Amino acid sequence: MAWRWITAILGGYAFAVAAAMLTARLLPAPDATARVEATGWPMILSFLVYAGIGLWALHEVRLGRVSAVIWGGAIVMAVTLKLLGVRP
Amino acid sequence: MAWAHGWLGLIAGWILFTMFLTGTSAYFRPEITRWMQPEIRAEATPPAQAADSAVRYLSRVGPDDLQWYIYLPDARTVATRIFRMPAKPDPKMRGDELDLDPVSGAPLTARETKGGEQFYRFHFQLQLPHPWGRWLAGLCAMAMLGAIISGVITHKRIFADFFTLRWNKGQRSWLDAHNVSAVLGLPYHAMITYTGLITLVTMYMPWPVLMNYASPAQFMQTAYGTPADVPASGVRRPLVAIAPLVRDAEQRLGGPATRVIVQNPGDAAARITIAQAKRGAINSRTPIATYDGATGRFLSRSGDAAVAIDTAGVMLGLHLATFAGPALRWAYFVMGLTGAAMVGTGLLLWTAKRRKPGAAPFFGLKLAERLNIAVIAAFPAGMAAYLLANRLIPATLEGRADMEVSAMFWTWGLLALAQFGLPARRAWTVLFAIAAAFWTAIPVVNALTTARWLVPSLLDGDQLFVAFDLSCLAIGIGFAAAARISARPAPKTPGRSRRTMEPAHA
Repeated sequence: MAWRWITAILGGYAFAVAAAMLTARLLPAPDATARVEATGWPMILSFLVYAGIGLWALHEVRLGRVSAVIWGGAIVMAVTLKLLGVRP
Repeated sequence: MAWAHGWLGLIAGWILFTMFLTGTSAYFRPEITRWMQPEIRAEATPPAQAADSAVRYLSRVGPDDLQWYIYLPDARTVATRIFRMPAKPDPKMRGDELDLDPVSGAPLTARETKGGEQFYRFHFQLQLPHPWGRWLAGLCAMAMLGAIISGVITHKRIFADFFTLRWNKGQRSWLDAHNVSAVLGLPYHAMITYTGLITLVTMYMPWPVLMNYASPAQFMQTAYGTPADVPASGVRRPLVAIAPLVRDAEQRLGGPATRVIVQNPGDAAARITIAQAKRGAINSRTPIATYDGATGRFLSRSGDAAVAIDTAGVMLGLHLATFAGPALRWAYFVMGLTGAAMVGTGLLLWTAKRRKPGAAPFFGLKLAERLNIAVIAAFPAGMAAYLLANRLIPATLEGRADMEVSAMFWTWGLLALAQFGLPARRAWTVLFAIAAAFWTAIPVVNALTTARWLVPSLLDGDQLFVAFDLSCLAIGIGFAAAARISARPAPKTPGRSRRTMEPAHA
């Protein structure tokens, strides 16, 4: 039970941060304004992602699946970000 | 989902209740500050004149400063607030923030107080050191968001229950009260929670910036159009007269000016940035005009922002309600109280549901009940103590601003602990009665210590002081009613049915 809450609160945050960073990095941004949009929208929407994934972590019965998706997803996204690097 | 809703709501609920109360009061932040400095009776001053007098004062005391921040008065605030960044920070000065008379530019002599800022800052900093307060507040806001979403999912019969309000049936009644306050105000509660997170988005979610920009400063410049900081050239030039610039900016920007920032005053590379006041539009990010400080030449105006930036600005504006006129501001205030009611009835529902007639309460239930009392009954008494302290502490006493704050927290703390001397049921009644006494005492103490109490204020047409005293009276009456209601014998609670129980899982 403790692990479920840790996954929901901390893991969910890590997941939301990674997802926001990855989305900001990957959205097309041909000019300066588009780059601001590509950065700003993931920031604004990240809280919905956090709330959604956090509630799912509390709701989904299979804890293994919850851990794999949230922690695994965060790690996969983080590695992808590291490989991509900062946008030129 | 009901299980998640219950735990998110319970654990975060105690802090959220205090956030709702202090945040709701912050809709009237400048009004509270004005009530707490009754010595000041300033008249409305045009922004250009206030800027001029402030610059004259600043030129005398800080000619070598790096930057001056000047917040001009408007219809709701009466003082010019200034903030200096000196070239060599003076360790003797406590901060460099000061209130000035908008006509003369002289520092205002009024009782030292934090005013409405105290409740406002508590709302998102929880009286904790930076950054822990904001992080905790953010965590609670996320719990609130989760509770709203799960609450809507749980409430399958949301429309049927909309019209259900069963009085005096114990747990059932608390559930109905919780549903009504939550559902009737749902658009507001959802909006205020999400926009609240957005107010500190650059603290809670800054990392996407790092994926697209070399530095956060670069993002700020591109996104907000703030001109880059210009280093001082070392060549001295007198600062150009500011009032014409303010008037010019107001014309270019299409509204009264609110904020003037002077970089490198007295230098050839001086820059003056003037921002428009927030009343014009919901978007809290208002356009700015930049001028050369030595020549007065217009340099640039902030252009159209990206949609994401405008959206964040509108969300910020929705949360702060800076655009709101008096009627809408009162509406916001009432909605905020409804939000507090939603959290409070939720907390009371949680304990009501688990109280079994005849059985001894388990530790968690006792703890929750006592925390409920501490937050719902004692905290408002603390808020009243802050306002009472403002009138009771001598106006010229050194350090009185901190004493007012201490009064708030000592009162809250002592009441929260004193409740243990009574059984929980009795503690509710006694603490509500104390809160009622404190709030109704405010207009009385106002009459005893100042000349600006209810009757002279009515005769003067001083709407603010009249409204403030009457509101405190109304709040006191509300708590008196709560005390009476809580003293009634316990209602008959229908037994728990299999339908109301939901399986919890690990």
